[in-house]
Amino acid sequence: MPDPAFRPKVLITKIGLDGHDRGSRIVAAHLRDAGVEVVYTPPWQDIGTVVKLAVEEDVDLIGVSSLATDHLIVPKLMRALREGGAGDVAVIVGGIVPDTDEKMLLDAGVSRVFHPGNKLDEIAAFVHATSAKVRASRFPSA
Amino acid sequence: MNKPLPHAIPASTGEANVRWSAEYAAQIGDDREVRNRSGIPIKPLYTPLDVDPARFDAEIGFPGQPPYTRGIYPTMHRGRTWTQRQLIGLGTPATYNARLRDILDQGGNAVSLIPCNSVFRGYDMDEVDAELLGTCGVVCNSADHMAACLDGVDLARTSCAMNDPSPFTLLAFMLDTAKRNGVPWNAITGTSNQSDYLSHFVANHMFFRLALAGARRVLTDHIAWCGEHLPRWNPLSVVGQHMQQAGATPAEALGFTFASAIQYADDCVAAGMSPDAILPRFTFFFDISISFFEEIAKFRAGRRIWARLTRERYGARDPRSWRFKFHGQTSGVDLTRQQPLNNIARVTAQAIAGIFGGLQSLHTDAYDEALSCPTQFGARIAVATQNILREEAHLTDVIDPLGGSYYVERLTDEMEAKVLAVMADVEAEGGMYRAVESGYVQRRIGDSARTFQERIDSGEQTVVGVNRYAIDEDASARPALAKPDPALMDAHRADFARFKAQRSQDDVARALAALVRATGETGPTRTNLFGAIVAAAAAGCTHGEICGTLRRELGFGHPLVAV
Amino acid sequence: MRNPLPKTAAAPAGELARRVAALRTGQRAVLARALTEIENELPSAAALHAALREHLGHAHVVGITGPPGAGKSTLINALVTEIAKRGKRVAVAAVDPSSPVTGGAVLGDRVRMNIGTADSVFIRSLASRGHGGGLARTTPRIVDALDAAGFDTVVVETVGAGQSDVDIAAFADTSIVVSPPGLGDGIQAIKAGILEIADILVVTKADTPNAANTERDLKDMLRLRAPRAGWSVPVLSTSATTGDGIASLADTLDAHARAAGVGRRVQRAAAAAAPPLPADLREALRILAARDSFVRHCGIEFVDGGPGTATVRMAVGCQHLNFNGKCHGGAIFTLADTAFGLASNSHGVIAAGIDAHATFPVAVREGDVLVAQATEASRGRKLAIYRVEVTRDTELVSTFTGTVYVTSRGHA
Repeated sequence: MPDPAFRPKVLITKIGLDGHDRGSRIVAAHLRDAGVEVVYTPPWQDIGTVVKLAVEEDVDLIGVSSLATDHLIVPKLMRALREGGAGDVAVIVGGIVPDTDEKMLLDAGVSRVFHPGNKLDEIAAFVHATSAKVRASRFPSA
Repeated sequence: MNKPLPHAIPASTGEANVRWSAEYAAQIGDDREVRNRSGIPIKPLYTPLDVDPARFDAEIGFPGQPPYTRGIYPTMHRGRTWTQRQLIGLGTPATYNARLRDILDQGGNAVSLIPCNSVFRGYDMDEVDAELLGTCGVVCNSADHMAACLDGVDLARTSCAMNDPSPFTLLAFMLDTAKRNGVPWNAITGTSNQSDYLSHFVANHMFFRLALAGARRVLTDHIAWCGEHLPRWNPLSVVGQHMQQAGATPAEALGFTFASAIQYADDCVAAGMSPDAILPRFTFFFDISISFFEEIAKFRAGRRIWARLTRERYGARDPRSWRFKFHGQTSGVDLTRQQPLNNIARVTAQAIAGIFGGLQSLHTDAYDEALSCPTQFGARIAVATQNILREEAHLTDVIDPLGGSYYVERLTDEMEAKVLAVMADVEAEGGMYRAVESGYVQRRIGDSARTFQERIDSGEQTVVGVNRYAIDEDASARPALAKPDPALMDAHRADFARFKAQRSQDDVARALAALVRATGETGPTRTNLFGAIVAAAAAGCTHGEICGTLRRELGFGHPLVAV
Repeated sequence: MRNPLPKTAAAPAGELARRVAALRTGQRAVLARALTEIENELPSAAALHAALREHLGHAHVVGITGPPGAGKSTLINALVTEIAKRGKRVAVAAVDPSSPVTGGAVLGDRVRMNIGTADSVFIRSLASRGHGGGLARTTPRIVDALDAAGFDTVVVETVGAGQSDVDIAAFADTSIVVSPPGLGDGIQAIKAGILEIADILVVTKADTPNAANTERDLKDMLRLRAPRAGWSVPVLSTSATTGDGIASLADTLDAHARAAGVGRRVQRAAAAAAPPLPADLREALRILAARDSFVRHCGIEFVDGGPGTATVRMAVGCQHLNFNGKCHGGAIFTLADTAFGLASNSHGVIAAGIDAHATFPVAVREGDVLVAQATEASRGRKLAIYRVEVTRDTELVSTFTGTVYVTSRGHA
């Protein structure tokens, strides 16, 4: 069980060209209500900006929403996070991702891909558990 | 003359009604409350008591007669059916052109051009990640590209919808194509499909946006310029679809859309245009969800509201100003990734609702939209669905076939009241421009989106294959994402680089400088911004150059609200 | 916070020093991780914060508050861009409310902050975590860390609602209160009291119709208020859309910094609510001495301390002399009293002096160096007695006896 005093801090964002943000907004609001501190960005973030945000906000996890093929540049994001010293941040992707591309994302280091039909509570539980692991690895004695 | 009508006979008030009520109560068991997506309570049965026969002429009436509840034309689909407009766009202009001709051969009778997300975002192909090019639409950055997209299409006979957010470069490119092909501009028909900048702020989606004030100015100029040069073109499509896709209830989507239309009409009138000059060219674009009767009632109520609004608020006298013309698109939000072929059934139900709702133009989604951008296989089924409904199922034999249904008439009244309440809320916020600027509309839609998702998560709203009737599927049977041929895209990029190097740089520089000058002008004699854009497109300026110039001069429209 | 001398072990001193050095040379990731420790009050945070304390006071801390919808974030976006353009490094701590039910929060200020990409700008979103007043309990310590990291300006944004605005004024060098145009809720909120704390009033959205009226109303309200010494509160209009008024706001911020000074919270903090003391007792006593304004005023230095003991030193200067040209008895008494106070407060709870006597058998002159050493004579549950000997080299110049009342409260 995660420590009840532990508050995950996550970044919910969209990279690339598409701006459909219904999903990212619903997920952000639901995570808030599940006790998560959510740094939310509007769509159309540069990968460099996401890395800088992740570092400055010291988030445990990044949720990337993709509905129109923007997931294709998530591997670029994973590389940029590693190069920017934020390789320990967990990354999840949610939205419309074909099965063939899902494997490509998992191979690139994405922790999990959520699809339409996954329940919000399922996402929140995964975020809690994964964030707790990331935080524990950062502060082993805490 | 008011003759008593069959449905108005008050027979059901008698003993039978009392007996039915008692038997219903005894047998129904769990009589849970049913509400539609707009929050209207739905009764188990509607009777003549739910409609007021005295209001027939004023509220229901006849097709082609105000308030147009039953349709805006006397013949409706019995005369001319709807325009079959499939959104397509993929890869390079040549790929697009091949797909377009295929659709036209299959029974499509109009063009709808979806550009690549890079175009939507105001960039040329050399300004974005190469992985993202052409995955969701055609990479069309110049007048030459448009000429290739529309190769072999008779622009004088084919209605063209350009999914063209402000600043309308695609239309500018198309006008250049028309000129090259010797088609006079006054023969061109179609619609600027994504001109509703307020909807782009409400639902972030993918569209390029200038900052609110700049977007407002470009749109007003666009409407004025088209009024002068393109008499058969609809410069404005007010888009409820974005809002409903973003999570607005059907009533909210319609109410906010009318509030936007009021904002645009007010702005045009303030700029000196007369209501009867602009309102006939206002068109609407809506999502059709699977909430079947609710959608039908939404469209019927919409016609009634618009017919009154145009006369009462603007004093419009031309009946064309009163007619609520709309394009419907079956809702992609209702489609599921699970058991994707089920989506064909969903699209069919949605399309029937749109047809019974009296639409003028229809796009049916491909079943694989929830998985990826549609494949050709999926797109063909979507077109066939329309053909089947129109020609096999005889849906068009009778005008407004659900008119007179106690339920549908009552629901139309209730939707109308709900929509008017939403419009009043926006008025109280200072109108749609201010309500969007303050984030009021975005917050309200965000709340509705979440409420609906929670209804699905809790199982209150069934989604077949998702929260009920799920089966183990072979995921490998699902189609892969259609990706453009990388060799073709590389060649397209090389061509573009060559084009940019070889065009007359002086002409381009002059045209962009003129555009910058135009943005700085004020007062009634200032240069029309859209006129300057049409000139820039003809001079060889690219989409990204025009958008970039305006973004620098008028500011980018950053999102206005979060969660 | 109860225990002034926390027992939790800190990281090895060398490691801590390395982190502080990295943080001060602008390593974002190190600073960001330090902020996480402070925000979550992890065991390592106290020592870290203590190690930063000697690097405080450089930053101009600007509080920005105002009612929801006033356009604060948009204003900050434009203002931070302007300040960065002037070659300064800027940090923003943006506080959003936590849900009182679930503790979650959406830190949505990023929506309007398109400034995060610049290298000279650092933005950190914080949740209020239920602390009354809109600020998080740890926000002052977060600001300290940003200050220690060398940012020239640290902007703290809070959702304006009553008490939070007063909170922010307690540690900002300059408080900006933002009002949207219009005579609606915005002005009502301002009337409710936050006007009092404003050093600068800003009317946003100057490009909208009601802005001029609002500016006039605010100026009228200011006239009803007693003028503030050395600073006349300006009312500025800004438009983030057109950029009007932003440069002038940045100029006004500089002017206020010159007039009122920067790092004022650091001075106040020395006396008032200070962050937790480090684990090392000697270090904790040194910090307590450094927080004592009168001790600093008299030029008394801390030498050593331990459980029940303390040693302090004073070089007698001309400011310590009486009318006969000898060291004032009160100065010697103060030196002894300082040793007494530290020794009696070395057990983790506040001890309050209730009685003291001193003898001055020997004359002391300018240039003499006096050392006072306090030892514990007896310590009961409520009362404790201390003896202090003041010496010049080896010569005893004063003896001092003092009694304290031992409270159960810890040091702030």
